[in-house]
Amino acid sequence: QLKQTHMELSFDFKNYMLEKADLVNQALNDAVPVKNPPKIHESMRYSLLAGGKRVRPVLCLAACALVGGEESTAMPAACAVEMIHTMSLMHDDLPCMDNDDFRRGKPTNHMVYGEEVAVLAGDALLSFAFEHIATSTKGVSSDRILRAIGELAKCIGSEGLVAGQVVDICSEGADVGVDHLEFIHLHKTAALLEGSVVLGAIMGGGSDVEIEKLRKFARSIGLLFQVVDDILDVTKSSEELGKTAGKDLVSDKTTYPKLLGIDKSREFAEELKEEAIEQLSEFDQRKAAPLIALANYIAYRQN
Amino acid sequence: TSSVSANFDLKTYWSTLREEINQKLDEAIPVKYPAQIYESMRYSVLAEGAKRAPPVMCVAACELLGGNRLAAFPTACALEMVHAASLIHDDLPCMDDDPSRRGQPSNHTVFGMDMAILAGDALFPLGFRHIVSHTPTNLVPETQLLRVINEIARAVGSTGMAAGQFVDLEGPANAIDFIHEKKYGEMGECSAVCGGLLAGANDDEIQRLRRYGRAVGILYQVVDDLLEAKSSKTKLVDAEEKKEKSYVGAYGVEKAMKVAEDLRAEAKNALEGFEKYGEKVLPLYSFVDYAADRSFSFSDQV
Repeated sequence: QLKQTHMELSFDFKNYMLEKADLVNQALNDAVPVKNPPKIHESMRYSLLAGGKRVRPVLCLAACALVGGEESTAMPAACAVEMIHTMSLMHDDLPCMDNDDFRRGKPTNHMVYGEEVAVLAGDALLSFAFEHIATSTKGVSSDRILRAIGELAKCIGSEGLVAGQVVDICSEGADVGVDHLEFIHLHKTAALLEGSVVLGAIMGGGSDVEIEKLRKFARSIGLLFQVVDDILDVTKSSEELGKTAGKDLVSDKTTYPKLLGIDKSREFAEELKEEAIEQLSEFDQRKAAPLIALANYIAYRQN
Repeated sequence: TSSVSANFDLKTYWSTLREEINQKLDEAIPVKYPAQIYESMRYSVLAEGAKRAPPVMCVAACELLGGNRLAAFPTACALEMVHAASLIHDDLPCMDDDPSRRGQPSNHTVFGMDMAILAGDALFPLGFRHIVSHTPTNLVPETQLLRVINEIARAVGSTGMAAGQFVDLEGPANAIDFIHEKKYGEMGECSAVCGGLLAGANDDEIQRLRRYGRAVGILYQVVDDLLEAKSSKTKLVDAEEKKEKSYVGAYGVEKAMKVAEDLRAEAKNALEGFEKYGEKVLPLYSFVDYAADRSFSFSDQV
């Protein structure tokens, strides 16, 4: 017990994230050069290279390393999940969807390039994600690459990410229960996190048992992320969050604090974190350190 | 040479395949929770009157090279899924703003713009997933399937159909050749090449299928433009608006007809290397004449 705590403390999470994010940014920059027609590629790059913590690709790389794989074998998959994340935000921000003008302090894609380009560039990133995995993954057998492609497609389609978005859209203003809320978050947020770690584990040569443990880990931290987000919205000031606080109350959105109360929501978050870390208990704890730290980061972040 | 294709009953071949494809597409998209998204996907993919030209070309190319059609069906369905996804997005108000498609209201007018965006976003991955999960692994090696996925992703991507749609919307002017090549040539090329890849075609054969599919895809559209121009002479339509997007509008009837003949010759020329396969080349061969002459139509075609 003591030893584990010591290792968690000695693991420099912040530095790890920055270092991996740098690698991912470089790989993304190389993966999508400006080709003809330039504007559509510039639009793709504008959103893809807009910064962000690169949580999904880092999860993918960490899962690959955890099962004993060479990190570079998972880099195309890591880039692919970030491309998918980016395109879903581009389409989400469109006027006919959430109608957002700004994201991460910058004008949204359609504000800069126009709606038609934002739709097309999003579609292009979606298909390119698959092309990139199929053509750029090195040192992995074809059957594993295909399996990864099938997993990714399932996680982001009508049984995954899109299902979450649809149920979310259809629930606006409705009174929904905990199960319903969980469905939305498990699909809208957790599915792509799941895809990220599962793809990493597949590329790294993980066994089926390992892959399933990591799948459960990702689902727990995906839900955890949303529960914590909901709690922060009601407990922190706008200043502390760096974005408008209390938004959920104003828009009367269904949240965990609203359904369970603050204390129970905090307990639930703690349970999810424990569940997530429990999935990692049989792995080499030194190699599991990044994922454990990531779960703790999601649970205890203050903004 | 046209007597060669006269001996082949393309209509029966095509109709039979079309029914099978429709059946498989129906099974590939069952309605689950949340129903709205599946209804929206099904609405466009299963639209009545769809000719299923890309899947038929894919299956025919696969069979030409000795492949089993069972190896080609999942990819054939995937072609329709990604194609439907592109068309749903192309019809959106911020794009072509088309209220109808294949004789029925376009997806967003029925399901709303948000659902139309998401239906497209779900159909792209469904296509890839369908190939991975449904292609019999004893018939197609995994390396070939990766090439098929790459081929489809590239055809619909930022240098393929998306590029064609972008230039169609934003110019530059006088880019009709680029637009036709990307919007229509890519899908034809991709369909024929995927069929070849699934049958294990060699590089030379793949190159021929590339040329063939591209020529037929563009030919099909140039002839559509010609037929459209012919029928609009008797109707009053907004000619100015159509002009930019039509081959006839850009180059005139005479040049369009010349181009169509050249494309027909190019497509048949690309097939010459396949003569050793004997009668198996007939479906692809008569497909060219159909694209040029439209000698029949399907009873339920809109």
